[in-house]
Amino acid sequence: MEVADFRVVLAPALSLLCAVLVFLLGRHDAWRALFTLAAAVTKLLVILSLLPGSLAGTVYSYEVIDFPPGIGIAFRADALGMFFALVSSTLWVLTTVYAIGYMRDRHQRARFFGFFALCVCTTVGIAFAANLLTLLLFYELLTVCTYPLLVHDETPAALRAGRKYLAYTLSGGALILLGTVLVQHLAGTLSFAFPGVLSRQSGDAMLLLTFVALVAGFGVKAAIMPLHGWLPTAMVAPTPVSALLHAVAVVKAGVFGLLRVVYNIFGVDLLGELGYAPWLAAVASFTILAASIVALAQVNLKRRLAWSTISQLSYIVLGAALLTPLAALAAIVHIANQAFAKITMFFVAGAIERTTGRTELRELAGLGRVMPWTMAAFTIAALSFIGVPLFAGFVTKWYLSLGALQAGAWWFVVLMLASALLNAAYWLPVVYLAWFRPPRGLPAQVREAGLLLLVPTLVSAAYVLLLGTTTRTPGMPFSLAEAAVRFVTGM
Amino acid sequence: MEHWLPLVAMAPLAAAALAPALGRGRPALAWGLGVIAAAWSLLAAVLLTRRLVLEGPFSYAMGGWPAPYGIELRFDALSAATVFVALIYLLVLVYSRRYAEAAIPAHRRSWYYSLLMVNLGGLVGFVCAGDLFNLFVFMELASVSSYALVAAGGGRVAALAALKYLLAGAVSSVLILFSIGVLHALTGSLNIADVAARLAATGAGAPAALALGGLTAGFMVKAALFPLHLWLPDAHASAPSPVSAILSGLVVNIGIIGWLRILPIFSGLETMALGMVYEALAWLGAVAIIAGALAALFQQDIKLMLAYSTVSNIGYIVLGLGLAHPVAATGATVHVLNHALIKSTLFLAAGALIHQTGYRTLHDLRGAGRVMPWTCLALSIGVLAVVGLPPTAGFLGKWYIALGALEAGRPVFAVALLAGALLIFFYYVRILNAFYFRAPAQERMLSVREAPLSMLLPVLLLAALCVLGGLFGRWPIDLLAPLVRQLPGGG
Amino acid sequence: MPSGLQNLDYAAFVVLFCIGLYMVLARSNLVKKLLGLNIMETAVFAFIVTSGMVDDGTAPILGNGVAGPFASPLPHALILTGIVVAVSITALALALIVEIHRQCGTIEADELKGAE
Repeated sequence: MEVADFRVVLAPALSLLCAVLVFLLGRHDAWRALFTLAAAVTKLLVILSLLPGSLAGTVYSYEVIDFPPGIGIAFRADALGMFFALVSSTLWVLTTVYAIGYMRDRHQRARFFGFFALCVCTTVGIAFAANLLTLLLFYELLTVCTYPLLVHDETPAALRAGRKYLAYTLSGGALILLGTVLVQHLAGTLSFAFPGVLSRQSGDAMLLLTFVALVAGFGVKAAIMPLHGWLPTAMVAPTPVSALLHAVAVVKAGVFGLLRVVYNIFGVDLLGELGYAPWLAAVASFTILAASIVALAQVNLKRRLAWSTISQLSYIVLGAALLTPLAALAAIVHIANQAFAKITMFFVAGAIERTTGRTELRELAGLGRVMPWTMAAFTIAALSFIGVPLFAGFVTKWYLSLGALQAGAWWFVVLMLASALLNAAYWLPVVYLAWFRPPRGLPAQVREAGLLLLVPTLVSAAYVLLLGTTTRTPGMPFSLAEAAVRFVTGM
Repeated sequence: MEHWLPLVAMAPLAAAALAPALGRGRPALAWGLGVIAAAWSLLAAVLLTRRLVLEGPFSYAMGGWPAPYGIELRFDALSAATVFVALIYLLVLVYSRRYAEAAIPAHRRSWYYSLLMVNLGGLVGFVCAGDLFNLFVFMELASVSSYALVAAGGGRVAALAALKYLLAGAVSSVLILFSIGVLHALTGSLNIADVAARLAATGAGAPAALALGGLTAGFMVKAALFPLHLWLPDAHASAPSPVSAILSGLVVNIGIIGWLRILPIFSGLETMALGMVYEALAWLGAVAIIAGALAALFQQDIKLMLAYSTVSNIGYIVLGLGLAHPVAATGATVHVLNHALIKSTLFLAAGALIHQTGYRTLHDLRGAGRVMPWTCLALSIGVLAVVGLPPTAGFLGKWYIALGALEAGRPVFAVALLAGALLIFFYYVRILNAFYFRAPAQERMLSVREAPLSMLLPVLLLAALCVLGGLFGRWPIDLLAPLVRQLPGGG
Repeated sequence: MPSGLQNLDYAAFVVLFCIGLYMVLARSNLVKKLLGLNIMETAVFAFIVTSGMVDDGTAPILGNGVAGPFASPLPHALILTGIVVAVSITALALALIVEIHRQCGTIEADELKGAE
C-alpha cells in the first residue's frame, strides 16, 4: 500500500539543513555540536516514526520534481530502504557523538561537520530513492561530499588517497550512469519496482552490458575485488571518517545499490533466467576469501579492518547473488550486522589511537588491562565476525548457509566455514594479545578512553549483541529485514 | 507590442552608437546606458517569449514590406534563446563595471561598452533573423565586435589571439556568404522559408549540396568544432573575463544556431547528402568531446582550461545534432542554453578570482577557497554543472544525448559521451583541490579579499541558475520541442 | 553571352577564391593574409553579383526610357552590405596588425609563433 508522506523527504532534508547551519554558524564548538546532535537525533526519530508502517507493509513515497519525461527525483521508503536508513541514522547518532570527542582539537572542524552532515543527508537520500536516477544523484553527491572528509588532514598522503578514491568512485559513477541510460532505453522507466523493470525481450547483449555496467559501477563502492583499491588507502582519513566510510555511508551505499539492481531492476526471476548470478557469486566468494587472506598479512589495525570490511561486504553481494529468499534475508540483515560490528572496531581503533597513540597491532598488547571496556567492545565485535552464536555475525552466516542450501549450492556453506576460520585467524590473536599479554611500554597515566569516545563504542557493541539475540522478537531490526525480503522477493 | 521584435535588437545598437559620446570622460555613463539597454532587451525578450508560448511563432515584417520581399524577423522556438542571451548579457554588464575599471584603459572603456552593445544587438538580431541577408548582417555585427572585444584588454597575446580569431571568423563568414549566394542563385530569394519552399520545388541536387556543405563548414568553424577549433582557446583565454563569458557562452553558439536556422532549407534534399553531413558531424562531435577534455587536462591556466572545456561541450551539442534523433536533438538544443549559463558562471567566477588575486594558474591560486569563499562556491557549483552531475543544468543535455544515442542504435556514442564526462571531472578535481585543500603557494593569497558585490552577485545568480535550470529543465525542453520536431531526421 | 562561356565567370571567381584562401593559409606575413582575405571576399562578391545577371539585362535602375530586362538588384544590396563588412574587418585587422607590430616587433606569423 503506497502512501504519500513528506517525512520521506524530511529525513534527508534535516541533515541538509544541519549542514547549512554548520557551514554558516559552525565556528563555535557548542553550537556546532548542538546542531549536529539535534539533527542526528531528530532524523532518527523521523525515520523511526515511519517504522511501524513499514513493518506492516506500507510504502511511503513523495515525488519531488519531474524531469521530462517520466524520470524525476522521487523518494520512496519501502522496507529495504527503511532498513538501510535506520541503520545509517542510528549509526550517525553514534558517530556524531564519537566525532565530537575525537575531533576535539583538530583543525577545520566546521568544514568537517558540515560535510559530515551532508554525507548522511545523501546516504538517506540513497536509501529512500524511488528510482535509479535519484539513487545516482545522491550516490554521486555522496562521492563529492566524502572527498573533503577523506582529505581532511591535507597531507600529501591524504591528497593522494583522495585522488585515488575519486578516480575509482567517479569511474564507477560513470558506469552507473551508462547503466542508467541503458535501463531507461530498454525499459522506458527508472523506478524501482517489484519484480524488476527489465524484461528478457530487450536482448541478451544489451542486458549483459547493463548488468556489467551497473554491477561494476556499484561494485566500486561495494569494494568487490578488483575494484576495491581505494579502500585500504582511504584509511589515511581521521577515524570517524573511516567509520563513516566503512560502516555507514559509502560502502553500504554501494551494496545497497547492488541490492536494488538485483531485486528491483533486474529481478530475481530474470537474473535466474539469464544466468549472470553465479558469476557474481563467484566474484563475491573470491573477494571474501582473498581479502581475508590479505587481512592476515596486515600489521596496522586500521588496515586489517579495511581488508576485513572488503571481505565482509562481499557476504552481502553473495547473499544477493544466490537469489533465494533466505540468502536475501542474510544479505539485508548483514547490512546492519556488519555495520555495527565494524563501527565498534573502528571506534576502538580510534580510541586507542587518541589515548595511547598506537596504531600497530603488536602494540595493542595488554591494553585489555588498561582499557577494559574498550577492549571488551572489541572482543564482542571480533566474536561477531567470527560467527559465534549469540552475536550478530552468526545470524548472517546461518541464514547465508541456509540460503545457499536452498539454492542447492552446498559449497558456499564450506565457504562460510572457511571464512569463519580465517576471521578467527586474524581476530583471535589480537584479542589474545590485548587480554593475556603484558603491556609494552605504556605510559603510566593511560586510562580508559574518554566518555565521548567510549559510550558510542559500548552502545554499538551492545547493538551487536542485540542483533544477535533478538531475531525472534517482533519490532526488532530482524523483523524489518524480513519485511524487506518479503518486499523484494514476494515471499 | 507590435513593434517590439525589432526593438529587441535595435535598442542595444542605438545604445552602442550613443555610448562613446555619452561616455566621453565619464565611462560610467556608458556603462549605465549599456545596462539599461540590456535590461530593456531582457524585458522585451521575456514579453516576446510569453507571446510565443501563448500564441505560437510569429513574424514581423520590417517597414511593412511583406515577406518574401521584405525583411522578415521571426520569433519561434529557437528565438526564445534571446532571453538567455539578454539575461547573461545584463549580468555580464553589471559585472563589467569593476572589472573594466581594472582591466581596460580609461580611454577605451566607453568603446568597450559600445562594442558589448553591438555584440548584444548582433546576437539578438541573429537569433531572430528570418532571412539569409539579415542572418549574415547580424552575424557579422556580432562577430566583428567579438574580434575587437578580444583585444580590448590590450597586450600582445590578446592582439594575436584576436587576429587569429578574426582570420578564422572572416574566412568562415566568406564561406557562408558564398553559400548564401549559391542559394540565391538557385532560388532567387533570400527569405529562409521561401528559399526552403522553392528549393523543395525545384529539387536542385549538386549546387544545393554545395551550399549545404559551405554553410555547415562555415558555421562549424564559428562553433569551433574540432578540428576547426584552433582559434578558440587563445581567443577565449586572453580576452577580458566578461568577454570570455560571452564568447564561450553565447557567441560560439552562433555556429550552432545558424546551422539550425538554415537546416530546414535543405529538408527536401536527397537523404544521402544530408545523411553524410549528419554522420560527419556526429563523429567530429564525439572526437571533439574527448579531444577537448584531454587538452584541458594538461592546462595550468584556468581560463585555457575553461576554453578547452567549451570545445568539448560544443562536441556534445554537435554530436547530439548529428545523431539525427529527436531525443538527442532535444538534448543538444537544451545544452546550448544550459552551457551558456554554466560557462558564463565559470568564466565570471574565474574572472573574479583573477581580478582579485592577479593570478591565473592553478598553482598560484591555491588556497583561494579560504579567502574568497563565495566566488569559489559559485565556481564549484559551475564545475559540478559542467561535469553533468544531476540535478544541475549540465546533466539534462548529456542525459538526453546519451539516451538518444542508444535509441538511435549507436551505443558507441553513449560510451564516448560518458568517457568525456569522466575526463572532465578529473581536471576539475584539480581545480577544487587547489582551491580548498592545498596550502597557498603565493603570499598574496593570504590577504586577498572577496570580490566586490557588483561582481559577486551576478556570479552567484548564474550559479543558482545552473542548479535551477536543471531542476526546472522541463520548461526549456517544452519550449524547444517544436524546433526539434522541425529538424530533418527528428520529430 | 554564349552559354558555353557563361560558366567561365564562375570558374574565374572560384579560382580567385582559392588564390585568396591559399594566401590566408600559406603566407606568413600578416598583411598578406589580410590581402588574401580581401581577395576571397571580392571573389564572392563578384560571384554573387554575377549570379543576379540575366541575359541582356541592364542596370536595375528605373527611369525614363529604360526598359527591362533588369539584372536582379537583390544581390547588389547583399554585396554592398558585404563590402561594408569587409571594409570594417580589414580596418580592424590592420589596427590589430599595427598593435602586434608595436608589441612584438614583427608581423611574420612564423616568428610570432616562436615568440608566443
